[in-house]
Amino acid sequence: MFSRFGDESRDFALLDEFRRRIDRLWEDMDTSWPANSSNARTHSSSAWPRINLYDAGSNLVLKADVPGLSEKDVHVTLNESGVSISGDRKVAPPEGYSAHRQERTSFGFSRSLSLPCKVNPEQTQASVKNGVLTVTLAKAPEAQPRQIAVQAN
Amino acid sequence: MANQTDLANRSNGLAEAVHQREAIAPVVDVYENGDELLLFVDVPGATNDGIDVQLEKGQLTILAKRREDAPGPLLAAEYRSYDYLRVFSVPQGIDPSKIDAQLGGGVLRVRLPKSESVKPRRIEVKQG
Repeated sequence: MFSRFGDESRDFALLDEFRRRIDRLWEDMDTSWPANSSNARTHSSSAWPRINLYDAGSNLVLKADVPGLSEKDVHVTLNESGVSISGDRKVAPPEGYSAHRQERTSFGFSRSLSLPCKVNPEQTQASVKNGVLTVTLAKAPEAQPRQIAVQAN
Repeated sequence: MANQTDLANRSNGLAEAVHQREAIAPVVDVYENGDELLLFVDVPGATNDGIDVQLEKGQLTILAKRREDAPGPLLAAEYRSYDYLRVFSVPQGIDPSKIDAQLGGGVLRVRLPKSESVKPRRIEVKQG
């Protein structure tokens, strides 16, 4: 789905690695793409949470579905090679009830991915709203989009 | 409680929808005690106004719509913003007017209180 560049520079090598990882993620996902199957979706904890990455101009925006988790339960770590998300999802059955069906499970999770460009760690923000984690990563100055003036001859 | 799988539902007598938004089955916990049935449904990204919980003809339909604006072009995608839809058959004796749904942190909690007639009752033994 992504075309590949030749490894002409380190920057592109990094991009390539990113593509390879995303391609792998796609492969993992195909088996769990639910559409309208009658089976309830099951989480394999190795690929939880599901992550979307957006390019919002001067920022990269990472979104992940983390239902039932609050800010305290999610740890976002930024390092040289990329960004990591980890934490524990705890589902406590209510007291005094008997269970008919328990599809929501407790598990720990940890995921990391490389980013397609350098980011500024000082200006990274993370929040959880409606069960969706949003991490806004400011691109480093050299990775910011730049307008090039087109000059008349 | 058994889950129904007929996502295309034509019972409303209208012409078949030309395009139906895709929906996925969210994961659900179902608990019961003497007073009520209690459901927890994972619906990340859904907001209050997109949630529709209905009990009709013994079927509990939980629909949670998800509308999110993408902040920009997608670089990598592992999920899409599908709606959540799940239908359960519920036993008789649920009081439809007292059903209560509450959304918090991407988890929908639905309480289905039992009507008085089906609640367990302790029988006093009287002295003969």
